[in-house]
Amino acid sequence: MRVPPGVSAADYAKALPEFEQVVGKEWVFTSDEDLDLYRDAFSPFMGEPEELIASGAVAPITTEQVQEIVRIANRHKIPLYTISTGKNLGYGGSAPAYSGSVVLDLKRMNKIIEVNEENAFCIVEPGVSYFDLYNYIQEKKLKVWIDCPDPGWGSVIGNAMDRGGGYTQANYRNHFDSHCGMEVVLPSGELLRTGMGAIPNAKTWQQYKSGVGPWIDGIFSQSNYGIVTKMGFWLMPEPEAYLRGTIGCMNFDDLGPLVETLNYCENARITAGFPDLASPLLGYSPVGQLQLFFESGAHITPEHAKLLATVRDGRSPALEAYGRAQGIPYWQVWLSFHGPMEVIEAQWHAAIRHFAKIKGSTAQLVDKTALPIDPADASKFHEPELGVPALRAFSIGARSPYNPTPSKGHMWFSPIIPRTGEAIIEANKVFSAAARELDMPLFRTFTLPACFWERAFVFILATPVTTDPATNRKYREGFKKLIAIGGDHGWGEYRTAPVFQETVMNVYSYNNHALHRFHETLKDAIDPNGILSAGRYHIWPKHLRGKKS
Amino acid sequence: MNKHPASQLLGLIVAASVGGLCLPALADSPNEHADGIAVYTKWCAPCHAPGIIHPGTSALGAKYQGIKSGVILEWTDLPASYVEYMVRHGMSVMPHFRKTEISDSELKALAAYLSRNTP
Ligand SMILES: Cc1cc2nc3c(=O)[nH]c(=O)nc-3n(C[C@H](O)[C@H](O)[C@H](O)COP(=O)(O)OP(=O)(O)OC[C@H]3O[C@@H](n4cnc5c(N)ncnc54)[C@H](O)[C@@H]3O)c2cc1C
Ligand code: HEC
Repeated sequence: MRVPPGVSAADYAKALPEFEQVVGKEWVFTSDEDLDLYRDAFSPFMGEPEELIASGAVAPITTEQVQEIVRIANRHKIPLYTISTGKNLGYGGSAPAYSGSVVLDLKRMNKIIEVNEENAFCIVEPGVSYFDLYNYIQEKKLKVWIDCPDPGWGSVIGNAMDRGGGYTQANYRNHFDSHCGMEVVLPSGELLRTGMGAIPNAKTWQQYKSGVGPWIDGIFSQSNYGIVTKMGFWLMPEPEAYLRGTIGCMNFDDLGPLVETLNYCENARITAGFPDLASPLLGYSPVGQLQLFFESGAHITPEHAKLLATVRDGRSPALEAYGRAQGIPYWQVWLSFHGPMEVIEAQWHAAIRHFAKIKGSTAQLVDKTALPIDPADASKFHEPELGVPALRAFSIGARSPYNPTPSKGHMWFSPIIPRTGEAIIEANKVFSAAARELDMPLFRTFTLPACFWERAFVFILATPVTTDPATNRKYREGFKKLIAIGGDHGWGEYRTAPVFQETVMNVYSYNNHALHRFHETLKDAIDPNGILSAGRYHIWPKHLRGKKS
Repeated sequence: MNKHPASQLLGLIVAASVGGLCLPALADSPNEHADGIAVYTKWCAPCHAPGIIHPGTSALGAKYQGIKSGVILEWTDLPASYVEYMVRHGMSVMPHFRKTEISDSELKALAAYLSRNTP
């Protein structure tokens, strides 16, 4: 039997029956066979001794059970690691950050406590997936939309706790920002409600975010200070119509003005749907259409392909001339609009007027449709942009007629960079030079960032995981170098897998790591025994500090 | 070979309509594979329903190159034990599934359903 690190076999043997008493024998896992199911399916350590593994797993079904488990863990000093649905693939999966921890698996806590149509919010438990919430809303014919990430099987809470993003309107795409109110089991086992939830018999827990006094919700995300057992989220009222169009620009130098205009239009709320950058000329599809590329391959003429080989850091006068002759835009932004038809048509026209300032740019209407669409038609779109969950994005890295060598998953390299054309070009120069030197297959020609969040870009590069440990080692080490190189340029990851959390946290080092030291101060105060999710985002309890890296 | 053409058709309808919309009350139909269909619909269909928009189907189409269908529901050489193995081990970008997601008894029902055409 596996035993958690720092725990004697005798203490663990005492704790297990106590866990069983709380959740039932069936929901305490100790055999290798069962615990292997907590391995990260996309682990870059697969088959190596450093792989992060679980020593046990406990799966409660109520908040009271969570409290009891935490009290037991405190008594026996057992390290726990919380997951909600554990589908954090590319950012660590269901494996603990501190190898050998007991995973607290909240998948069975799957109650949708309320979906309120009138005021457009929901309150859910951690095991509720985007599919679950979507199906519930459809069954009850409620006129609200969810905002989901590409994989629909993730947890509404778990995704928000790792500060994930989605694809509908700007104020819903940031999943942590769109939450309102939490219930948290503290490391002591005590129960806390944030915001208005701190008022007994609260009437506005999901309607007003901050309550009064320090607004502490943020400290529970990307951390290890508590276990969230309920969380509210604001939902978007089902829009009446959807409109999608593209703006195309013909010159390399148009990228700066294109981004600048996009920023204005988004910040002024002329457009609010997921803006998606592409380069038809460089063969880079918008994020929302990557799946088409993986499903159906690239459709590029031999002449175009030959010219692509001449491109360096995105620029090529010969390619630019070819694009002009063939009418293929160098840059393109996909804009989408949700709302009453007369409003979104007017917004689209206002957007066209602003982008028309870029000489030679063209605007094209792609879709204009009343909502809800026939669900059978959802696959004609990038489903999450219509609030529909799917798993289609798993085509990334999967075998296909265009990819004979499927990967074992990927690690997301995802630094935040400024929302300027200049930053896009600089990030391409810096990271593609580094990737060449590190021999990492991260770039085809050029990469455009994703616009999940307002005000900044996230420059996502999928680093493949393979079945060959030597290759995985090379990519892991390369990934760490990329993080440091990004840091030298003032860029930092928005989120990362446990294997890289120390390296990423080291980039956030202003004033002798003041931020990280503050995280540790909090940890010591809130969780003196260090039992919760040790190591998550490099926050280690005192007894492990400096010993783990 | 196919002992239950109606149930297979039902499975296909279920599968084809996943990837978004919620599923109507098919559970009401008497069907010896109702439990297996429910597990399949929830956990497998988003990747394995017919059509290249499903990454499992697209991958298996490319893998077997016409030797057999890319749609696992149509396979006639899929033993229950192999389904059980796949669900607990995964392959390529398909992850394995924990017991809190698919319990052992749900897995049995799923495996019985997917192997129904396998002699
Ligand atoms: C092909 C592909 C596409 C993807 N696209 C996106 C995308 O568009 N957007 C996006 O955001 N992500 C994306 N991801 C990453 C990831 O799959 C999702 O973010 C997923 O939702 C995260 O897993 P989960 O929801 O199961 O969270 P979990 O794995 O349950 O939780 C994530 C982490 O949060 C913490 N946590 C979870 N629950 C709690 C709790 N109750 N209390 C305290 N801490 C908790 C834990 O540390 C846990 O490890 C993608 C991944 C792949 C493979
Ligand atoms: C995230 C997408 C995804 C999900 C969900 C998924 N699969 Fe798969 N599955 C795949 C992919 C991709 C492959 C092809 C692997 C390859 O290229 O060899 C595959 C392959 C398979 C195979 C064929 C293996 C072989 O030997 O060729 C079986 C059987 C299978 N899956 C069963 C299931 C079952 C049962 C479920 C539901 C419990 C499921 N899958 C869920 C993506 C998925």
